Amino acid sequence: MRKRFSLVAVSLVLALVGAACQQTAEQPDVAEKKTTVKIAFVGAQTGPLNPLVIHAIRAAELAFDAANESGEVKGINIEYKVFDSQGSGDQATTLKDKFIPDEKFIGLIGPAFSGETRAILPSLQEAGLVMISPSATNTKLPSIVCGGEGGDCPAQTVFHRVVPDDDVQGKGVADYVTKVLKLTKLAYAHDNSDYGKAVAEGTRDLLKAAGVTEVVTVAIDPASQDYSAAVNQLKGAPGVFYGGYAPEAGRLAKQLTDGGFNGKYLSGDGSLDQAFVSGAGGAGAEGAFLTCACKLATADSPGELGQFAKDYKAKFKLDPGVYAGEGYDAARIFIEGLKKGHTTRKAMHDYVESLTTVPAGISKTIEFLPNGNQKPTEVFVHEIKGGKIVVLGTVEELTK
Amino acid sequence: MGCLTGQFWPQTIDGLTLGAIYALIALGYTLVYGVLRLINFAHSEIFMIGVFASLFSMHALGIELGDPAKTGLFLAGTILLVMIVSMVVSGTAAVALERIAYRPLRRRGAPRLAALITAIGASLFLQELFALRYSRDYFPFPRVLEKKVLFVFGGADIRADKVLVVASALVLMVILDRFVAKSRVGRGIRAVAQNPETAALMGVNLDRVVSLTFFLGGLLAGAGGTLFGIFFEQARYNIGFLPGIKAFTAAVLGGIGNIRGALLGGFTLGLLENYGSAVFGGQWKDVFAFAVLVLVLMFRPTGILGEQLGRTRA
Repeated sequence: MRKRFSLVAVSLVLALVGAACQQTAEQPDVAEKKTTVKIAFVGAQTGPLNPLVIHAIRAAELAFDAANESGEVKGINIEYKVFDSQGSGDQATTLKDKFIPDEKFIGLIGPAFSGETRAILPSLQEAGLVMISPSATNTKLPSIVCGGEGGDCPAQTVFHRVVPDDDVQGKGVADYVTKVLKLTKLAYAHDNSDYGKAVAEGTRDLLKAAGVTEVVTVAIDPASQDYSAAVNQLKGAPGVFYGGYAPEAGRLAKQLTDGGFNGKYLSGDGSLDQAFVSGAGGAGAEGAFLTCACKLATADSPGELGQFAKDYKAKFKLDPGVYAGEGYDAARIFIEGLKKGHTTRKAMHDYVESLTTVPAGISKTIEFLPNGNQKPTEVFVHEIKGGKIVVLGTVEELTK
Repeated sequence: MGCLTGQFWPQTIDGLTLGAIYALIALGYTLVYGVLRLINFAHSEIFMIGVFASLFSMHALGIELGDPAKTGLFLAGTILLVMIVSMVVSGTAAVALERIAYRPLRRRGAPRLAALITAIGASLFLQELFALRYSRDYFPFPRVLEKKVLFVFGGADIRADKVLVVASALVLMVILDRFVAKSRVGRGIRAVAQNPETAALMGVNLDRVVSLTFFLGGLLAGAGGTLFGIFFEQARYNIGFLPGIKAFTAAVLGGIGNIRGALLGGFTLGLLENYGSAVFGGQWKDVFAFAVLVLVLMFRPTGILGEQLGRTRA
């Protein structure tokens, strides 16, 4: 009796699993005669790091929805699918098997972070799936496939990004620190991530070359709450540069302020979000400087960027945040490619790889270097004033 | 490679503060291990529940983000009330966990390994439950206690919140130690820890003692949650994971099953971590702390104090 019961139970479970599988199976699109092509996005859609990525995800959605609605790309329906990595390279590695084998995926926006990009770039190269990252800034990414340490990498063709790399930002930070803040000593902290460590150490090396002495460089554990050991080492310095993401940047800023630190606190694009202010408990973030080789889109931005900010707000009832413009630009590059009839993975790859200047860039003038890097652009400095991120201007303007 | 010169006292004070929180959580592991020989991995989530309970009870008291810090009697009353609520919530959660996840297994005489797997499962279940209910974001705490420097000692700022953490943890641990050593119920706990069969024959109600042990562990984890909340001012679904692992380590370091060992282990681990970060850099602090743990266990396999709960002197 008992055996029969378990048999019934097992078959029930199997039936349920089968049904669940069927539900997720693709439904053929009978209503429309359009061909479907798919574009993937890989990045932190959820989790504490999502503020840095969600705007690019939404901006691309905005671009694709508009293109589908207007019928701009004749005979093509663009299916946009977001793969939520929560910002982790391990997750991205698992997720890649969901889109790489599907030939309908002809392009990838992202991966949003450097660690994720490092994790899946070799597989993307193997599959010939072209990627355009809105926000991965590690300087070594263009040569990952060759295992090289910088410089060109002829074997690598899929990698592209619409944001300049960390060296560009680092030079901006160096200029700002030496010419405006006039600091002669600086301490560095990072979260030991592919992005954070590289941006902190890269900036440190550029600042050293500019004559700014290193007080100390400390690593913190992003999973931990307690940064007291780091605070004790950092708080005597006249300034601290943190490489990492907004939640930890905020937590460190708070613990530093509570610990009696009253120097300048600087961080890069990874911290450029309101999550930095909330992580710092408000007061701890006040007066911090955040740099980014990117322009924040606001409704009063001139030209297309301002229009984009308005459209974004109309669609999502929220203001765009960091890397929204970059996400939109990446999506537009794919749309332009489709308009030119590049509807296969190979054709799209060859098209993007052939591009040097992209006419439609709203975040900046997009120009790809041979290794897929964005040509250096200006670096913006932001300050936290009254709990809000305020744009001070470009480093070039501020150092005049 | 850094150095400790000029940083010895600051790192010591911070290490002790962190260690006090580890010790409070470690007691939960140690009590349960002493009685059931079970590593209750879900204890870190009992702590996490305590952190959330503190946050919600602050909200219930009308304390919101951005409010000015409290002072005087009102401050003391608020902290006490929040702590008691969190202790009760965590204690109840621990008892419920035992009833649902462990007792049925015990009744059927399942091997200890089964209970261990259940503990890991319960831990993941509780984390995901909170992640789904409250998202994976950080929740900031309102500032209740001004982080004022009371005095400076050897270059170290002695801050009000650090004093609160260490002092409350010490008081709670002394109370627990006395309770287990002196009270009738405490005698029951020690009896079961020594020999469950004999204790049952002598008329000790095993299930009641086990429930009570979980409740005590939960109470302390809840108090730890409140102190953690006041000190770090953040809550998140997986916030218990790291302190939980550290506290378990502290319990082993001090001698698992030993109440005073948990205290000693907590403080030792907190200090080791901070000294390790100062000398070798933050990325090496866990390596350093665990290397010391391995060394200690090589020479004293049962931990620093190495005694069992049952043999605690009355």
